[in-house]
Amino acid sequence: MVDTSVAKQLVQAIIDNLPAPVGPRRPVHTIGIGVKGEFVASNVARNYCIAEQFQGQPVPASVRFSNGLGGPDQHDGWSDVRGMATRFHISDGKGSDLIATTLGEFFVRNVDDFFKFTEIAKLAPYSRLSWWQKLCDLVKLKVPDRDPYLNETENVNAGALRYANQHRFAQLGVFQAAVIGAPVSYARASYHAVHTFWVTAPNGVRRPVRFSWQPVAGVCNTDPMAVPQDKYLFKELDERLKKWPARFMLMMTIGEAGDAIDDCTKPWPGTRLRISMGTLTLLKVSEDQEADGERISFNPNRLAPGIEPSADPILEARLGAYEASREIRGGCPFKWSKVDAG
Amino acid sequence: MNDIADVQGNILRGYRKPYVRYLILEVADPGAARRWLAASVSGHGDGVPQITPYNWGKDKPDTCFNIGLTYEGLRALGTPSASLAMFPNEFIEGMTARALKLGDVGPSAPDNWPKPFDEPKRIHLIATIYADKKQQLDQVQERALAGGALKKLDTREGCSFEDDAVHFGYRDNIMQPRFEGIHDRERHDDGQPRAPLGTVLLGHKTNLEDLMWRVPQPAALGHNGTFNAFRVLKQDVVGFEDYLDQAASDLLKHKQVDDVLAPGAEAKIGEVLKLKGLTRHGALREVVAANLCGRWRDGTPLALSADTPDPKLVKEKFDYTGESRCPYGAHIRRCNPRGGQIVQRVANNSRRLVRRGVPYGPLYVRTQPRDPGKAEPERGLLGNFIGASLGAQFEAMSCDWLNLGLQDPRITESNDPITGSNDPSASWFDLPLKSGNTIRLRGLPRFVSTRGGAYTFLPSLSAIRFLGSLTT
Amino acid sequence: MPADEGLLDRIVNWLPTTLGFKRVASWILVPYWAHKTPVKPLPGGPHASFQHGDNVQCMMNLIMPLKVKSPIGRAEAALAIAQNKDAIYAGLNNVGTVHFARFVIVGDNICMFSVYDGDFTNYIRDFIATIGQVFNAVVSLVEGGDDVIPCEENVEAFIQWVHERDLYQVPDTPTDFLRDQEALNGDRAVSPVNDDLTLLPRKLVLQLRANPNVSLGSGYRAYPGYSAAQVRERLGLGW
Repeated sequence: MVDTSVAKQLVQAIIDNLPAPVGPRRPVHTIGIGVKGEFVASNVARNYCIAEQFQGQPVPASVRFSNGLGGPDQHDGWSDVRGMATRFHISDGKGSDLIATTLGEFFVRNVDDFFKFTEIAKLAPYSRLSWWQKLCDLVKLKVPDRDPYLNETENVNAGALRYANQHRFAQLGVFQAAVIGAPVSYARASYHAVHTFWVTAPNGVRRPVRFSWQPVAGVCNTDPMAVPQDKYLFKELDERLKKWPARFMLMMTIGEAGDAIDDCTKPWPGTRLRISMGTLTLLKVSEDQEADGERISFNPNRLAPGIEPSADPILEARLGAYEASREIRGGCPFKWSKVDAG
Repeated sequence: MNDIADVQGNILRGYRKPYVRYLILEVADPGAARRWLAASVSGHGDGVPQITPYNWGKDKPDTCFNIGLTYEGLRALGTPSASLAMFPNEFIEGMTARALKLGDVGPSAPDNWPKPFDEPKRIHLIATIYADKKQQLDQVQERALAGGALKKLDTREGCSFEDDAVHFGYRDNIMQPRFEGIHDRERHDDGQPRAPLGTVLLGHKTNLEDLMWRVPQPAALGHNGTFNAFRVLKQDVVGFEDYLDQAASDLLKHKQVDDVLAPGAEAKIGEVLKLKGLTRHGALREVVAANLCGRWRDGTPLALSADTPDPKLVKEKFDYTGESRCPYGAHIRRCNPRGGQIVQRVANNSRRLVRRGVPYGPLYVRTQPRDPGKAEPERGLLGNFIGASLGAQFEAMSCDWLNLGLQDPRITESNDPITGSNDPSASWFDLPLKSGNTIRLRGLPRFVSTRGGAYTFLPSLSAIRFLGSLTT
Repeated sequence: MPADEGLLDRIVNWLPTTLGFKRVASWILVPYWAHKTPVKPLPGGPHASFQHGDNVQCMMNLIMPLKVKSPIGRAEAALAIAQNKDAIYAGLNNVGTVHFARFVIVGDNICMFSVYDGDFTNYIRDFIATIGQVFNAVVSLVEGGDDVIPCEENVEAFIQWVHERDLYQVPDTPTDFLRDQEALNGDRAVSPVNDDLTLLPRKLVLQLRANPNVSLGSGYRAYPGYSAAQVRERLGLGW
């Protein structure tokens, strides 16, 4: 159990590093859009997990896509982590959440790491390298830093890099975040739930698993050399869904003894059993964005019976931090308690 | 086959002496160590203990003495580099470098091995003393260490129990390969083909058609030598008994429990295993123990008698052909699938090993009440797994068969139930029923962990003379 | 494009996309940095692992340069395979741990690509036992092959020879590639360390100089975690 003061400190550390205050909104993943859809489990999903959403009947789902950057400004075209938070509306009325991002692995292992990271990876002025600095990098067979985007005067890149250079566990997450790019559509990116969860099968067998959403439309990023646009993702998604639903396949990878269960900085190899758990069909952009985009409060620990969180300290910290953040912004007080999450 | 006389005595036959001590030694003075080697095969018995040869004469000696050399040991003795380069990779790299193949991970990982195995490069020579009486061990050790040619890093010592019992309560020492052209009165027909001598000695035909292992040259060094995986294997006897309790309790509640143990069968099992007043729960524990191993604790193979142990049966002679009731994943079947169907058909009979082991630590008395507050003394097995190719035999068996279960798709991805590095969250074992169905047991923890070991070369007597005569 | 960008800025941005720059970098910069910061070749084959999934469906990517680099040499290789089809198929069936195996001729190399279960040395050793003669026929056409045939009498050397021609498998993540380099150099530090992630591109370039042929990633698997015999059993094909 994370004590609430740590949870508040976590949120404060994030708020302190914002380029501009966001008011009563999410301090990160501030910009987002709520979508309505439906999830249908595959015919094998129920053999692995007793949770209601995996039994095969269609389950209504609410999804919020977001840009990872904190702050009130929308920069769709910037290279940035994207979020896909999904709530399965199961019959208990509380729902079951799956929070995923385009980043496959996180860059810190626990709360202490995170506080150290925020100390080092602070917003810092960012400007274009001069031509001779770039030439110097090329001669060293390095890739020069990208030019800043229009209106991008500061970012955390230098600090994050400094942190990663000191901590090998952080290198994968930081490296991936640095080259992540911008998707042409929220429906054209893969999203990973990062943490390990334990799922219970009907015969009582518990398995450690990780979830990923794979877009049926395929993964596609914008051209990194082109000038990025600030606003196109919401409109694109709305137009796309008006024409045809967008679908995602839910893949569940089963970990083996010896795989990192409680450490979300460590990837699992592609040689692990991979189960196709079902298909999410996104039907329309929600008309009530205040309710379905802003006030809805997700929590990676809000899980249907049959799915349990691992002892990943970051997952545990998110339990309190998401709640603290929800309280600050007056998010939707869902019928939810910590007991339900366990 | 005359040159077999040149082989060390503990390879083709066992001495069956109750007391065994391993001296783990470092070469302190290469010149003196070479003289020590020369003296050990000189035939003058008053100084350095004499290496016991294959032909030990009419009467077994009171004490026996044998040696194995690591790659570092061969180097320290001044073996020419051209000869050293002809040794196989796995031997050159040493046991610690092969940890992943052997399942030496987690608590078994070499990083967790205690002294002297924490400094593998210092282990040069492992000498073994076999004796009828414990005090003889000290006498031989004193003679071996006199003169300071070799420095004692540490020792490991074991003592066999009555009836060849081992810590987990099974009767052991039932099976060893029988070799072509070697007569051993103690080995009866086991229904398996006689192993070619190349299974265990360099320079002879192997079990794989036309394949010959490289013999390090000169021939005097390599010929008739062999390799040994010496292993200190800690056994969690309490954990094993606890698991049997738990599995038996689970089975009692299982709706097919009568298929596992026929009503009333507990009386027969209790009678054979000499367990008075055996309850159904107690009998189920024995059934689980028998299935995990492939033998009842009295040695009766499940392949011959799956429902109850039978003291009248010959314990060696059986096979896994047809509908054997021995679980595919049982320990003895995984180690040696005999003539049974396996995926790598070409490997049938090709990965056989000579096993020489002795338990260490005090006997575990199952009838004595335990004090859970008191730490249990360490118990285990000092094991030697001998074969002409460590890679083709010991490692191939460990990696593909014990750890991965590749030999049968019905056990693939499960680890050996007794010796495997099991994690209770993922481990399983299928208990076969008469009906052909299985009950899957789960939650097996690691019962055996590695606490040390080394790959050694067991040189022939000629090789010891050769090494003793080196001048550098 | 920022308005304050000058001509030199634009030239430097454009430069790395040009063939000319890449050629100059290959001729001058790569050898210079290879000399200044040497990189050792990384060993081929799958990464050592104890875990089950990593030990089934392993890849072998064997590249063997032909002695005779001409249509004659290539035809000899093609014939050696064609004439031994029966032996190869019987061997594959009986070794039992192979998912796929194929021979390919690429630029005067005879290549053997396969997906197999279990330990590499056991795989090759079992093969020597069953199709040693085919190996002898093929390897006799390959540079350096004469030293290790007949393979039945040079088992250890032959396995080593094959291993040395098996391609390095670049890990699936860029950072695991760095870990491979560190492991090869005996660097086991965890944290804190003093790395420079920005050197990753150069490290990759220099590694590809040391290992000119590599396998990229561990490859996609439609049904990871299953052995060939498990697939055959579950499909009802017998094993």
